[in-house]
Amino acid sequence: MNLTADIVIMGSGAAGYSAADAALQKGKTVVIFEKRPFQGGVANCAIQYIVVRNEKAYQDKAFHLLYEYGNYNGNPKVIRRYVDNSWRTREFIERLGVKMEVADAVPLEDLGAPERADGFPPAINVHGDDTHALGRGRGHGGALVGLYAMRDIIKRGGTYLLDTPLTDIKLDENGAVCEAIGVHNKTKEEVHVSCKAVIICAGGVQDDPEMIREHTGFTYTGKDAPNGGNVTFNCFPNTKQTGDGHKLAWKLGGAVGNISIEGHDMIPGPGIETSTAWITYNQFKIMTEQPYLWVNKRGERFFDESLSNNHISTCRGIRNQPDRVSYMIFDDDTRKHLEEKVDYFYFVFPAEKLTDVRGQFKDLIENWGNKHVFMADTLEEICAQAGISEEGLKKTIDRYNGFAASGVDEEFDKPAQYLRPVKKGPFYCMRIYCGGYNTIGGIRINGDMQVIKENFDPIPGLFAAGDNVLNELYGNPIIAGLGAAYFAMPLGFAAGDCASEYIDRL
Amino acid sequence: MKIEIKDYCIRCGICVGLYPELFAHNFEEDCIDVLKDPDTDELKQQARDAARDCAVTAIFLEK
Ligand SMILES: Cc1cc2nc3c(=O)[nH]c(=O)nc-3n(C[C@H](O)[C@H](O)[C@H](O)COP(=O)(O)OP(=O)(O)OC[C@H]3O[C@@H](n4cnc5c(N)ncnc54)[C@H](O)[C@@H]3O)c2cc1C
Ligand code: SF4
Repeated sequence: MNLTADIVIMGSGAAGYSAADAALQKGKTVVIFEKRPFQGGVANCAIQYIVVRNEKAYQDKAFHLLYEYGNYNGNPKVIRRYVDNSWRTREFIERLGVKMEVADAVPLEDLGAPERADGFPPAINVHGDDTHALGRGRGHGGALVGLYAMRDIIKRGGTYLLDTPLTDIKLDENGAVCEAIGVHNKTKEEVHVSCKAVIICAGGVQDDPEMIREHTGFTYTGKDAPNGGNVTFNCFPNTKQTGDGHKLAWKLGGAVGNISIEGHDMIPGPGIETSTAWITYNQFKIMTEQPYLWVNKRGERFFDESLSNNHISTCRGIRNQPDRVSYMIFDDDTRKHLEEKVDYFYFVFPAEKLTDVRGQFKDLIENWGNKHVFMADTLEEICAQAGISEEGLKKTIDRYNGFAASGVDEEFDKPAQYLRPVKKGPFYCMRIYCGGYNTIGGIRINGDMQVIKENFDPIPGLFAAGDNVLNELYGNPIIAGLGAAYFAMPLGFAAGDCASEYIDRL
Repeated sequence: MKIEIKDYCIRCGICVGLYPELFAHNFEEDCIDVLKDPDTDELKQQARDAARDCAVTAIFLEK
């Protein structure tokens, strides 16, 4: 099949449909290649959208906050693209007919305030309004956005090629993009689209263990953690996010940027979540949010655990420990406390209190065979089962119980209400690894969303947006800030604008 | 009763996770399989619940 379009888009996720919307608004023709037989990509998971208001003072403050959040490693031109286009996310979603609810309107003077209890890190969640796209059934709003976006884009003349991965991009004699080629997964028919620009919006690399190992140094545990490993991902099964966009950009001479794990600490192994990341079998996802005693293999504390519902700081802490692994330990008094009231509430897995914690541990250990949770009458047994240094843990607990008694954490200044002693068996322990919803980064772009080479020359006609470029926002941490649809969409709009303007200049 | 899944199903696995007697992932074909026609009252109710819980209204029931 041969087609012609101004702009080809690789991937129909958050960045892809936003790029298509922007290009159509600028009167361009678009073809979207989508590897899977359906629309929307990982963005079908999204529910929460942080939206920077369309007000100059608000955008300026958000810009400074994000730049500072990445310790000034991010590309300020790309950060600017994000903050200035963020309002279009909400406008687009509402235009499609998906209802959005502002869960937390953050006024200008409160942007950047450090205290948040909802699990999102300071300076990353507080750069805009916390807005939720309402889904149907047990789904999240992002699923409706992906479907309605496809219907809308097709109605406006765009073409979706589903089940058809984009496999190659051709450059003309001047080195500019001139053709995109895909192959239908089932019929094996080749599709050639002659075009002036391609926007790579192909998402992360979380389903490619080799890329994860090479670019992040982590070993992927795999679904249900059959092979050890020390990083686990939390998405729909079989998302096939294998870094196809990265591989193409790099093949065409694009610079290799850092790939980061998005950052969401997790207990791996069977019995935690169903095939859908936000429907869990039990309440372990809530337990790992709580601010009690966390240690490494040596039995040593490694962070102020009041940050335990801040997945990024927690993962950064874990990443710096031996074997990149951590343990959370609590005793039977804390078990009772959790059955009366949790300290940290998490809106994705809402519960004011836990039920039958012992029963949940027993079920996970005995019925699911999960090797990452432990329950025993003595700390010695916990240490032996979990692989924690007994000497180290005892020393830590002696000191920590002293802090609990005095109400002063002399080590990390954790607030007194979270200093719960570890005294009375049975004891409960969970082995927690770094994880993420996705990976971000790997393709380098400039402030005009163009893919750049090592010498920063752009590849003419090649643009990129979404998770695969998100490290431009933060610089290059190994554990990133959030990879989010609410970052992917504004950058998608910007890429659609920039590619259209590039074509107008030809 | 027959269950039909529309092609815009996003393979999210909500139906698979909640109603494993009726739905399963088919990773080879990259689709969701309907395992059987709901033939008992309990399975018919599960099918109705699945249609209600689906993220994108992809599950349709024919009498
Ligand atoms: C469980 C979960 C919950 C999340 N919750 C939120 C949330 O509440 N709010 C939020 O903002 N973000 C959330 N995210 C993150 C968000 O989903 C991603 O950051 C976002 O989807 C990134 O958008 P993208 O367009 O870059 O990539 P994707 O949405 O992953 O889209 C990439 C698309 O490219 C396709 N593709 C890949 N290779 C090819 C190829 N060769 N040819 C053609 N197409 C290809 C993929 O199939 C996919 O459809 C969540 C993620 C997960 C997993
Ligand atoms: S719940 Fe709906 S969209 Fe999700 S897998 Fe089942 S049929 Fe598909």
